[in-house]
Amino acid sequence: MSEDLLVEDLTVAFDSGGYVIKPLDGLSFRAHDGELVVLLGPSGCGKTTLLSCLAGLLTPTRGQIEFGSIVVNELRGPALSEYRRHTVGVVFQAFNLIASLTARGNVVVPMRLAGSSRQAAKARANELLGRVGLDERRQHRPAQLSGGQQQRVAIARALVHDPPLLLADEPTAHLDHIQVEGILRLMRELASPGRIVVISTHDDRVSQLADRVIELAPNFSDADRLPEEVVLAAGEILFRQGERGELIYRVEAGQLEVYRELFDGGVELLSRTEPGSYVGELGPILNLPRSASVRASRDTVVTGYTVRAFRREHPHQVEEPASS
Amino acid sequence: MLAVTFADLWFRARQFLIAVVGVGLVLALALGLSGLADGFHAEVASTVDSVGATSWVMAPSAHGRLTAFAAFPAAAAVAVGHEPGVQRASPVLFAPEQVVLVNGSTAPQTVNLMGVQPGGLGSPQVVSGRALAGRDQAVVDSKMHAQVGSVLELGGHPYEVVGVVDGRTMDGGVPIVYMPLVTVQRAVIGGRALITAVATTGTPAHVPAGLVVLTPSAVVTDTVTALGSAVTSIDNTRSLMWLIAAAIVASMLYVAALERKRDFAVLKALGSSSRSLFLSLVLEAVVVTLFAAVLAEVLSLFMGRLFAQPIDITSAARLVLPLVAVTVGVIASVSTLRRVTGADPATAFG
Repeated sequence: MSEDLLVEDLTVAFDSGGYVIKPLDGLSFRAHDGELVVLLGPSGCGKTTLLSCLAGLLTPTRGQIEFGSIVVNELRGPALSEYRRHTVGVVFQAFNLIASLTARGNVVVPMRLAGSSRQAAKARANELLGRVGLDERRQHRPAQLSGGQQQRVAIARALVHDPPLLLADEPTAHLDHIQVEGILRLMRELASPGRIVVISTHDDRVSQLADRVIELAPNFSDADRLPEEVVLAAGEILFRQGERGELIYRVEAGQLEVYRELFDGGVELLSRTEPGSYVGELGPILNLPRSASVRASRDTVVTGYTVRAFRREHPHQVEEPASS
Repeated sequence: MLAVTFADLWFRARQFLIAVVGVGLVLALALGLSGLADGFHAEVASTVDSVGATSWVMAPSAHGRLTAFAAFPAAAAVAVGHEPGVQRASPVLFAPEQVVLVNGSTAPQTVNLMGVQPGGLGSPQVVSGRALAGRDQAVVDSKMHAQVGSVLELGGHPYEVVGVVDGRTMDGGVPIVYMPLVTVQRAVIGGRALITAVATTGTPAHVPAGLVVLTPSAVVTDTVTALGSAVTSIDNTRSLMWLIAAAIVASMLYVAALERKRDFAVLKALGSSSRSLFLSLVLEAVVVTLFAAVLAEVLSLFMGRLFAQPIDITSAARLVLPLVAVTVGVIASVSTLRRVTGADPATAFG
């Protein structure tokens, strides 16, 4: 079965202490059958959120996920269970094996849940454990296996229904370099016609193996260009909370309001900046989304600097951030 | 899910073993209390049956209680004996008293004196010694720990223990001391010719004015009713035991559910439903309580030694125990319901 994975305008927003947090905001991409897709970005950039949406475990606030003819975000009830059981396989970051079960028991579980007979499930588990090189460790419990072996069991478990979409959340996070090599080789092999493999990672070395890399948090720290002047009319928004941006702004004339957008639709004013002040330093420097929104409270002129330009021209200012 | 359930039971064997022992002890105690409550009935039934009467004639003010001291003239026994349909009629005088075993502990013991006509209905069948014959003789229940040949004192007079009977107690293990009727009349009511019941074989068509005829089962029921508050207290305590058992299993399961929070999320992510996860926990609880019930059944065999009162654990109580255990397990597993239904499969990623 040849299926493409299409993600369009995917947005996930949730309430965090009254503030709106958007780990994903308008994400779109397409992956073709047989591709190894790497979701790249630091912690908190929305990789796991995206995988949860792809796995049918989290309903996005907006946007669409299509896998072949399946509109994943519209699945409900038995159709969703069917999708989770047969279409998608998941390898969790911390292996997430059931501690009381043997390696084979862990692989058997999803098949038994899907209604396979015990004998058929055992035979399939034996086959898959052999495929990931754990023939001799079938009867061992997770505590008796190394991290790499546990990850292989988790991969075998994810493959029980031969899913056309395999998701792996930081599959190399807890492994040493020897184990990393083995797991990545296996993932590379699994990405073949009939299956898309999506790996999330913060390690950009993994992207070397990928057919497609989705950068969820573009790195702006290396951007370098001349400062640019921005003129804002009263009420005009400079940037929004949750957006990613590469510029740090210095107020030249007028006044800016820094405020937080609340989940209930309201706003919370944090500060007003006068000429000579700066806004939006930490986001570009730390590669984080903007933690607040900024708008002009009257006609205002600001100068936008890339991180490099800002460091060059204002070497001491980054130590006293006003807002990210 | 069965494989996961039993694997988890095995994985947490120590935890579950502790729960089985704890719940088993509680269930054994509850079973013992059942036996105790039933024992009140059994001892009265055994004593009444041992008399061999098919009818009892008593004063209505006794309300059918053998142990109530509602006396009437002994001549009534003769009148009843002459009634058509009556083969035998024997007077009985029942009275609680204090006696002292001269060769044993000097502390007075509360006993139920039963004055009978030697050779008549109610005359005890001894398991050791000889039958009651003389006026200064007594036959006692084995609970008094009196040897044949020993002496007991009643109202300052010595009486020789000539025989011992077994299982003849009333009022929750108070032993019966059988003595000739005239002896009891002399010791307790100053020699007046009064009795508290007439035991008959055959049913009298008429009885002297002011007396009533009762069946043995009515006498048993009415006599046990007098112990109603004690039985109720025991029943309440037994119910409390079921609750304690449920609480032990619930706390064990709740801790297990907390520890398995991630497992639940993963199993849901793999396609398991909240319902099947909850049912697997119910099954774990039921397995624990059923093992505990088996342990309780075994422990209850030795329970008699714990109680001074006679206990009678009936077959019905033993058969009901597994059902109670299952109920306790199901109730206990409710404690995990929110943990299971609240498990978010998306957290399997976290």
